[in-house]
Amino acid sequence: MLPHRSRTSVVLFLAPPLLLFGGGVLLPIVQSLFLSFFQWDGIFPMEFVGLENYRRLLFGDDIFWTAFGNQLLYLVICLVLQVGGGLLVASLLLTITKGREVFKVLYLMPAVISTPAIALLFQRIYGGDGLINTMLSAVGLDALARPWLSDVSTVLAAVSIPEGWRFLGLYTVILYAALLAVPREQEEAAALDGANAWTVFTKIRFPHIMPVFITTMIMATTYALRGFDIPFLLTNGGPGQASELVTTYMYKTAFTSGHYGYASAISVFIVVECLVAVGLILFSLRRKDA
Amino acid sequence: MTVLAPTDPSREGQTMTDTAPDASAPRAPRRGRPGSRRPSRLRISQVVSRVLIVCVLILQVYPFLWLLQTSLRDRQDFAASNPFSIPTELTLENFARALEQGSLLRNILNSLIITGGACALLVVCGMAGAYAIQVLGFRGSNLVHGLFLLGIVVPVQVALVPLFIDYSRIGLLDTYVAVMIPLAGFALPMAMFLFLSFFSYIPRELYEAASIDGAGPYRIFFRITMPMSLNTVVTVVMVNAIFIWNDFIFANTFILSDELKTIPLGLQNYIGAMGNTDWTATFAAVSITVTPLLLVFLVLNRAMIYGLESGASKG
Repeated sequence: MLPHRSRTSVVLFLAPPLLLFGGGVLLPIVQSLFLSFFQWDGIFPMEFVGLENYRRLLFGDDIFWTAFGNQLLYLVICLVLQVGGGLLVASLLLTITKGREVFKVLYLMPAVISTPAIALLFQRIYGGDGLINTMLSAVGLDALARPWLSDVSTVLAAVSIPEGWRFLGLYTVILYAALLAVPREQEEAAALDGANAWTVFTKIRFPHIMPVFITTMIMATTYALRGFDIPFLLTNGGPGQASELVTTYMYKTAFTSGHYGYASAISVFIVVECLVAVGLILFSLRRKDA
Repeated sequence: MTVLAPTDPSREGQTMTDTAPDASAPRAPRRGRPGSRRPSRLRISQVVSRVLIVCVLILQVYPFLWLLQTSLRDRQDFAASNPFSIPTELTLENFARALEQGSLLRNILNSLIITGGACALLVVCGMAGAYAIQVLGFRGSNLVHGLFLLGIVVPVQVALVPLFIDYSRIGLLDTYVAVMIPLAGFALPMAMFLFLSFFSYIPRELYEAASIDGAGPYRIFFRITMPMSLNTVVTVVMVNAIFIWNDFIFANTFILSDELKTIPLGLQNYIGAMGNTDWTATFAAVSITVTPLLLVFLVLNRAMIYGLESGASKG
């Protein structure tokens, strides 16, 4: 603490961030909670309905549950590609000696691209005469070719993969930095004792990077639970509800149908979902760690 | 080795792993001591991991190369032949068409204004908040700190409906500021966190000496803290500018008129109608919007990577 600080100086420095955070983040959260107890279309007066929105959401809305199931699969695909893939690629990078920095930068490239550009790219990759179908027919697997974005059985995976792909490099970079910090002597001592690469990884490296691994799990999970752009742009939830996520459903409920109260209840659900997920990750991984 | 098709990385990988043991066999005779097999096995795993590294590289980079290549390709040539083959001749005509049809330059200007404004807001607020919490200190600073940390896990969707309603009430809907506020607000916890961790490295003695010389909290902020944190400012701006520049959801919700649309919104127009009729111009438009950011990233990636790593490992 500075000896010459005054009350006014603290207030002056604290006011701008509190105003920004309060007005842009905290107040809207409180308002969402408030709105979720009302039925309101933005035009007619608000009508207090108590917990009716939540009752309907949890017990009377099939689309919501479909969307929730889809969001979970989206989450799994993102986690496998981002954290699983990132861990694998980061471990691979450790085995080479030259060019690590260059690879890191190039792997990060997709993270720099805006989602509409990625959506455009993947629209072309998944299309009838797109990259995947062209490659399949090149190796004689024409039977597997299909319009990936309009086939109900593939569309959800098709909209999830771009999101996973996009941030693979991000998690690679973070996990790689953590793996570099693992003490070399421990790895070498274990290798001398005859431990193979897998044992070194599971017994020494992985426990050592556990704190960073927990952080990346939390990051990837909360990002995937709020994932929106790519499914919204590529399919807008379709065909039918095959690629509808909780987030796209909430967006449409609010800004297409104009049910602000019900949409607020869904957005409160998304917040709770994120908090529960973070709690579960901390609970399960920290306990194993101890 | 003549079977190797240089354009097919997966097959190349397989052939190489198959032939690797044979290639190293003469050097490590089979009937030698048991230990002598070890180096050759190591070499195989190294080859495998190198091949995998290159495969991932192709997955991450090839889409761009294809994007650039398509944007430079003649329209008829692209439509007539395999879209993934190597073009025979290159043209800049697509770029002219892309600039003519859309309002790309307008979009770029809007993105610059919003990114600049949001980053300025973010840096000023992040630095001031961290200064108040870390350097000045006050009762209840832990509580305020915790409140900001909460913002890291809160999904942005929760703010859409209330902000939309608030903005339309106070007439802020469809303005630059409407997008800047939530963008800076949701990025603030992370930015403040980076400033907090940097400020904790500035030695106390420096502040004490300045205090003895009669400098007040404002002077110390502007003369000591601010000039010293220039590197952190670069890191904060680099990490956040990319996310702010690419923001889609806030801009799509709060911006209604065409004159204020940012690059992501401008590109969205191509996904439907125009994208299907004029792919080469669409890809030229994508290239125009992607290239500047990519160049900045390739030059300043150290700051960004540092920010990402320290953000995750200390958080």
